[in-house]
Order: sequence, then structure tokens, then C-alpha cells
Amino acid sequence: MESLIAIQLLNGVVLGMIYALVAAGLTLIFGMLDIPNFAHGAFYALGAYVAYSVVAHTNSFWAAIVIVPLAVGAIGLAIDALFIRRLARFGHVYQILFTLGLVFIAQETIILIWGADPTSINVPSALDGGLSLGLVTFPYYRLFLVLAAALLIAAVWLALERTKYGAIIRAGIEDPAMVDCIGFNVQRLFTLVFGIGVALAAVAGALSLPVRGGQPAMGEELTAISFVVVVIGGLGSFAGAVVGGLIVGLTQAMMTIFYPSASEVAIFAAMVAILLVRPQGLFGTR
Amino acid sequence: MKARSLGALALLALIVALTPLLVRYPTLEAQMLISGLLALGFSFLLGQMGFLSFGQATFNGIGAYAAALALLHWHVPLVLLLAIGILAGTLSALVVGVLSIQGVGVYAVMLTFALNEMAYFSAFQLKGITGGDNGLRGLIRPDLFGFSLSSSLTYYYLVAVVFVLAVYVVLRIIDSPFGHVLRAIRENEQRAKAIGYEVRHFKIAAFALSGAISGLAGALYALLYQFVPLEAIDFNTSTNIVIMGLLGGVGSPFGPILGAAIYTLLANFLSEVWARWPLVLGVIFCCIVLFLRGGLWELGPLALRRIRHLGGGNVAADSKPL
Repeated sequence: MESLIAIQLLNGVVLGMIYALVAAGLTLIFGMLDIPNFAHGAFYALGAYVAYSVVAHTNSFWAAIVIVPLAVGAIGLAIDALFIRRLARFGHVYQILFTLGLVFIAQETIILIWGADPTSINVPSALDGGLSLGLVTFPYYRLFLVLAAALLIAAVWLALERTKYGAIIRAGIEDPAMVDCIGFNVQRLFTLVFGIGVALAAVAGALSLPVRGGQPAMGEELTAISFVVVVIGGLGSFAGAVVGGLIVGLTQAMMTIFYPSASEVAIFAAMVAILLVRPQGLFGTR
Repeated sequence: MKARSLGALALLALIVALTPLLVRYPTLEAQMLISGLLALGFSFLLGQMGFLSFGQATFNGIGAYAAALALLHWHVPLVLLLAIGILAGTLSALVVGVLSIQGVGVYAVMLTFALNEMAYFSAFQLKGITGGDNGLRGLIRPDLFGFSLSSSLTYYYLVAVVFVLAVYVVLRIIDSPFGHVLRAIRENEQRAKAIGYEVRHFKIAAFALSGAISGLAGALYALLYQFVPLEAIDFNTSTNIVIMGLLGGVGSPFGPILGAAIYTLLANFLSEVWARWPLVLGVIFCCIVLFLRGGLWELGPLALRRIRHLGGGNVAADSKPL
């Protein structure tokens, strides 16, 4: 029993960091840009499938980790610049509806290109084996996944908080008209932020592929969970995304031992409770 | 009620009455009307009050389960079954409504979604009551006052009568002072509050009506297929209802009915031709959101205006929204 709990704790951390990475992307898009992207999980799925193809062609997992965020992020940039931008003046409702349509398009396109069967890839050979922790062994790949997710989130956070462009973006969110007047193209910067948010979801999909595998509808679950995580953590907060992701991941992992039948209901009940009692989330200030 | 609305309703009733005589697919046609009710319930909230609900399947599913369970365990007569569907739909919508309107903007949408997911996973787990993944089977459609409804054509006409009545009720409510207040809330909630309306009560009442229509649709659905699948309460059903509503247009009650009919036809025939038909649906839906936010129903007046404009008529006089 102890070893089962230890295994599930570790699995919960891995799952939690995948959620945190996807949610960090959503916190940029929804928390900062105020775009309720209901297709966020679809970009996660697309990331996993593009990674599958890159590995199939180049035989290199590392190539996939570089190519996936660039390729899927570029798709995100295009979608924002061409469509979502135009819908901003009609309010949230039409942005939600448009991204809902994107979910259908993404899911069916995935089935058209890659088929409906589940896919997976092998763990890269450099990360075979695992770290012995007494009771259990923690596979190196999962350790790498946790560290990579933490590093990516920290890098995006640092870029926003400590660089000149980060400062311009934050100023643009506070007062777009003013920053426009100073001479920066705010819209272009926002589109870039949208692309980075999408890239984070996509790279999370690629990283999770050797662990969780892929299937065409994998994005739906992640859209729901990343909204739960962002709401729990608080809009626009990266620390909140990590803590929220870990809370949801660990809760799910523990529930599968003790009370598997209620694990989904519990996640959504937590979402309802947070939305009703503390809609600004645990770390949110807005 | 406006003469124009009454005329449109009469025309709708005529089409509904004649369709199965001209093209004999009574089960599919009954499905179109039932989906029409679901889309109508959704569009009432979005079109009149400006509230986007992602949880309409909750009311549909609970209405369907309630009616089916009453039939299975107590052999309740048909008219009462429909009443039970309406009641269950209304009650579930009251709960969802009271909770959801606490949220602002996107949060309110997410509350309807999260509550739908909770209802779905509860139905999935409560196998003893709902049949879980297998659905609730073994329903036998009862007679209506001794008149057998076992043929799908006679059952279609029951659905048709209920449908036309429900549309009439919705049209009356839209034209009532209550409907005007809902549109005032949609246009400017703060001002409606300032005038002195209890905005919260109006919103909850609108939810109740939407739930009543959806619960009724659920009961009709259970009796149509003599079966309640888990999909009845699935979130995907909620998104399909959203698509039907937007496809036809939420501005007029006739829009969602048109949208549901087109959606049902596409789902039945296009899916036979191409298994990936939701791709087509997604593209159409995105185009509607981008370019035709009034839905297909708006195409009629748009074309009419264009023609009048060509004839040198007064465009401005006719440009008010439906």
C-alpha cells in the first residue's frame, strides 16, 4: 500500500506539471489577454500528434521538442491574427463560440491525418531507466518532464517580468491605448503572447506523449482541466498555475486509489466551489 | 402577440403538419422537432437575455431520466410523463441558474459547463438509477387516453402538437412585459437594476423556462426512442445544442428551429457520406460566428432588404433587429 501511494504521489506530480504547463499557456491567453480559448486543449492534442510525426520522420525526440512549439505556435499566431482579433469587439461570447468551432476542426483534422487509433512514442533512449527511491523507482523521463515543465514556466515568467518586451506587454495589458501612443504595436505583441500560450500547450502535449499516449479527443479533457487549474490558481498567475496544476494532478492520482468513481465529479465540484466562493482563485489579485 | 409572429407560427404549424405526409421519415422528423425545442431553450437564454449556457444537456438529461424512471417504476400516464419532464427540467435549471448567475461573464459560462460535467459523471456512476453507460432501457411508450401511439407517425403528431404549443408559449413570453425586461437586462444590466427590476429573479425565471422546454424535449426524446442514452446528459450534447442555435440564429425563436432541423439533417445524411462530417460542421460554424452572427435565419430579411434596396425602397425603416 505504501509503495502504491508513493507511486501515485509521483504520478500525481508528473500529471500536475503537465497540467501546470498547459494552464500556464492558458493563463497567458485567458488570464492576460482575456481571450477565453476553448480550443486550448486542441493545441495540446495537436502538439502531441505533430511530435509523433516528427519522431516518425527524424527519429529524434529532441527535434520534436524544438519543432512542436514553433510549428503549433505559428498556427496559433495565424489563428489569432486572422480571426480571434476580429471578434474581440463582439465580446467573450463570440470568442468562446469561435474557439468551440476550432475544437471540431482540430479534432477531425487529427483523425483525417493521423487516424482515430491511439498513438504513442518511446521514451528517448538517453532517458531510459530510472532513479531508485527506496520504495519505488522514478523513471528518468518523468523526472525530466517535471523539470522541463518547471523550466519552461519559469522562463516564460522571467521573460514577462524581467525583460523589456515583457514590460511592454504588461503595460499594454494595463493600458493598450497608451502603449500604442508610445509607439509599440500592441496588437502584434498580444498576438505573439497568444502564440506563446499555444506553444506551451503544444509542447506539453509533446512532452506527455511518451507517458500518456495520444488519441484524437485528448484535448477536450485538457481544456476542461486547464480552465479548472487557471481558475483555482487565479487568472494571470504563473505560481497559481503550478500550484493549481499540482493540486488537480495529485487529487486525481490519489482519488484513483481511494475513490476512483468520484474523481471526475470531485474535479468539477472543486471548480464550481472555487468559482462561487473565490472566483479570483488562490493566487489571483483580480 | 404580433400578427407577424402569429402568421409565422401558423406557417410553421402547417409545415410541421405536412412534412411527414410528403416525406415519410417520422422518427427523424420527430427528432428534428425535439432538437428544435432544445435549441429554442438555449436560444431563449442567449437571444433574449444574453446568457451563453453550455449546460443545456443537463436539463434535457434530467427531464429524460425523470420521465423514463416514472414510466418504468410507476407506469405513469403519458401526459403526466411530459409534465414530469417539464418539472424535472425546470427544477434542475433553477439550481443551475441560481448558481451560474453568481458568476460574471466567462465564469458564468464555465459554471454551466462544470455543473453539466458533474451531472454527467454522476449519471455515469449512478448505474443503479440511470443505467450508466448502457443507458436506461426497456421503456414502452404508453397510450394517450387509450389511443395507441406505437406507430412512429402517430407519435410524430403528438410531438408536433406539443412542439407547436411550446413555440406558441415562447412567442407569447418573448412579447410579454417579462420578455421586454429580459432584453433590457441583455442590453444594459446596470440600467435595468437602476430602474428597479430584481434582475436576479428575472434571470432565474428565464432559466426556469429554458429548463422547462429542455426537460419537455428530454421526455419526448425518451418516449421517441424508448431509451435514454447517457449522451442525453453529455456535455457534447450541450455543445451540439449551442451549434444548432447559432446555426439558425438566436435573435428570433424561428432561428434555432431552423438550425436544429438543418443540424439533424446534416447529422443523419452527411454522416453517412463522410464520417468526418463534423469538420464541415466546424468550418460552417466558425464562418457563421465570423460573418453571420444572426445565423441563417437572418439571410431571409437580409435578402429582402437587398431586393427592396434595389427597388429604391427605404432601407433604414426595415433595419431594426428581429
